Amino acid sequence: MMDGSSNKIEAIIRACSVITRMNKALPDVPESKNMYYKMLTDYFTRVQRAKEEGNFLAAHTVFFPTEILYAMDIVPMHTETTTWMIALFTGEATELVTAGAEIGLASEICTPHRGIAGAFSLKNALPQPDAIVWSNLICDNTAKSGELIAELSGSPGYFLDHPFQESQQERKYLIGELKGMIDFLEHQSGKKMNWDKLSEIVAFMDRQIELFREICELRKAVPTPFSPLGFMDLLTMDYFFPGQPEAIEYLETVRDELKAKIAAGKGAVDNERFRLMSLFVPPMYLMGFLEKLSHEYGAVSVTEPFFTHWGEGKLDPNKPLESVAQKAYMIPEVQMYGPMNDTKIQRVADLAEEYKVDGAVYYADTGCRHTCALIKLVKDTLSDVDIPMLTLDSDVVDPTMTSEEETREKFEGFFELLEDY
Amino acid sequence: MIEKFREINSSFPQTSYVKEHKSSGKKVIGWLCTYVPEEIIHAAGALPVRITGYQQEQELDDGTAYLYVNNCSFSRSCLQLALRGEYDFLDGVVGGSTCDGVRRLFDLWRKYIGTDFHQILSIPRKFTESAHELYLSQVTQFKQHLEEFIGAPITDEALVKSIELYNETRALLKQLYDLRKSDNPPITGSEVLEVLEAGFRMPKEAFNQLLGELIDVLSKSNAENKGRARLAVVGSVLTNAEFIKSIEEQGGLVVTDELCTSTRYWSDPVVLDEGKTPLEAIARRYLNNFPCARMYPSDERFDRIIQLIRDFRVEGVVSQIIRYCVPYAHDLPLLIKKLDAINVPVLALDVEYGSSGSGQIATRVQAFLEMLEARK
Ligand code: SF4
Ligand code: SF4
Repeated sequence: MMDGSSNKIEAIIRACSVITRMNKALPDVPESKNMYYKMLTDYFTRVQRAKEEGNFLAAHTVFFPTEILYAMDIVPMHTETTTWMIALFTGEATELVTAGAEIGLASEICTPHRGIAGAFSLKNALPQPDAIVWSNLICDNTAKSGELIAELSGSPGYFLDHPFQESQQERKYLIGELKGMIDFLEHQSGKKMNWDKLSEIVAFMDRQIELFREICELRKAVPTPFSPLGFMDLLTMDYFFPGQPEAIEYLETVRDELKAKIAAGKGAVDNERFRLMSLFVPPMYLMGFLEKLSHEYGAVSVTEPFFTHWGEGKLDPNKPLESVAQKAYMIPEVQMYGPMNDTKIQRVADLAEEYKVDGAVYYADTGCRHTCALIKLVKDTLSDVDIPMLTLDSDVVDPTMTSEEETREKFEGFFELLEDY
Repeated sequence: MIEKFREINSSFPQTSYVKEHKSSGKKVIGWLCTYVPEEIIHAAGALPVRITGYQQEQELDDGTAYLYVNNCSFSRSCLQLALRGEYDFLDGVVGGSTCDGVRRLFDLWRKYIGTDFHQILSIPRKFTESAHELYLSQVTQFKQHLEEFIGAPITDEALVKSIELYNETRALLKQLYDLRKSDNPPITGSEVLEVLEAGFRMPKEAFNQLLGELIDVLSKSNAENKGRARLAVVGSVLTNAEFIKSIEEQGGLVVTDELCTSTRYWSDPVVLDEGKTPLEAIARRYLNNFPCARMYPSDERFDRIIQLIRDFRVEGVVSQIIRYCVPYAHDLPLLIKKLDAINVPVLALDVEYGSSGSGQIATRVQAFLEMLEARK
């Protein structure tokens, strides 16, 4: 173990409060933005203070049924997104990724996971969790990371095995896995599952999904009212606040802001020229730059097939555990998990049409194998409906992968191509 | 004797046995991943053939264009062979949801190669009773689909016969491996891999016959292989015997391995218990078999590696992990820690699939062997 230079959570909280203060001083910052940063501050403050407040802190991987943690009054800490946020708000992710390499993780392991393992190998970079819970949603990195970070942090762990497909037997298996996890958490935390609370959370989650769907519909407007890379904030809602009332309030605010913009005939960018489809995650360290580029060129992401489009279905508060399992199959990204059949891939082309997309951008993250392996398939599918696609090699967290200049060059070339299309 | 196996491998991937089987009007089904039960394919009267990539490291332009550069070179190599028509002889392809590399290879295979029959099995990552139930349901469904495709039922009787045949292969391979426990084994590690390779592309009936003859010859021979240190090779899929040969040429005595193309392939028999259907017995064996790095908890795999180290008196472990093979790469820090605790050093090599082990790898092996000798 080596020494960590600072507590990374503290740094995120500091950055969020600075942004909140700056936003207050600026005109035209939508209310939803202020709410968003306040929510992040609260989330990380809960993580930071869990210990001193006598709360049980559970670190968990992405697409995890966090509803269960909330229903048990357990404080969740999202591992991958915490690494993203460190990259986004503090620019200090490289140190964590390097620490991950030092404990022997190969460079091919995606940086969110190398970073989180690195963070747990450093002293004081992250608070010590009381338990690590993880699942194989959505890739080998998530499946494998938990055991290592449990070992590094010295915390007990539970692996939630998410089945690959959707047969009845697989749903049954998933429910059994969820029950196993509840037993584990009850045992570790001494807390009991509050089933009434879980039902309430499931009802809220269902409402949250409806709001996600409404927001997607509103984004179809020309010009689109939703900010060019705002979908990243939407993702955070489900990652951090599934079934939480503040997320509903936030999503309702976003929805109302979009409606008001549409009514006023205002778009997210002044002169909307390119309606884009985004695939996978843009590099965190380039978010500000990409936002600027979007405004400069009138380019805005209007749809993200595997990020913002929830699968069909409804959650039933009377069947809370079944609903938590059902939700796992409806998460937009999980549509990428099971076999990539023709229906799923055709949906990409349909969305391009429904959202009047001019071009698509695929952020090819170096460490993310299962998403990159779809680049050709998505490109071919979109090419059948005459939509060109830009593939941008990048990394979610590691700033040494792509520079602003290179990215600008690629986007400019792509916009020229779209112009001539 | 090894020449016979070499000859079979020389017509990879469509061996003379595959051609013969096809010409008799019977089906050939390719399988990807050791969690696909071969017995079911065999009991359906089809020839199971293992899908692997090029035998040597290759430029993978097509494979990379489809699977992108950050998928393991094993999956890219397999896909490239298929894209170039080398697997056109297959009537079906069966995979498992083992890892990102294989599940995407399967997706693209289905879309761009379009083999008639295709199925991917959901493989749980645990060994619990409910995981067994789930896996059995997948195996049952696979059997049903295959019956529909072949147009004939797969009877319990046929399954029992296939189990017996495959168990015989496993028992013979165990005998072959046991010969390697001696101080100076009569067969090298690279030769063993060549033997196994041939077995993936020929009927087990003929393979068992050849293997039996080989064991007879070896048991009576005076051949002795000496080395500077007893080694085990562990990690990602490995099919190029040259890799092991290059270690052996430097004086490393490769006596065992934990590879899905060798020990993990044959290690556990199917146990036909009273009260269990043949399909249940098959499903139990495949999920409980010597685990891949994808399984949880990893200790199941680590413990079995440690057992191999004891049984074969291994002095050093060579870990070869294909770039972007996340399951094995993630396990490595934990494995090194475990082996360190029993004082067994690990040489961790990053390789590409099909690597011959030359160049920089050879230099590192050399240094590793020197270090092992200095410890004696
Ligand atoms: S970046 Fe890709 S590989 Fe890493 S956790 Fe996310 S989905 Fe998995
Ligand atoms: S286990 Fe590793 S080498 Fe094998 S297919 Fe999966 S990623 Fe590739």
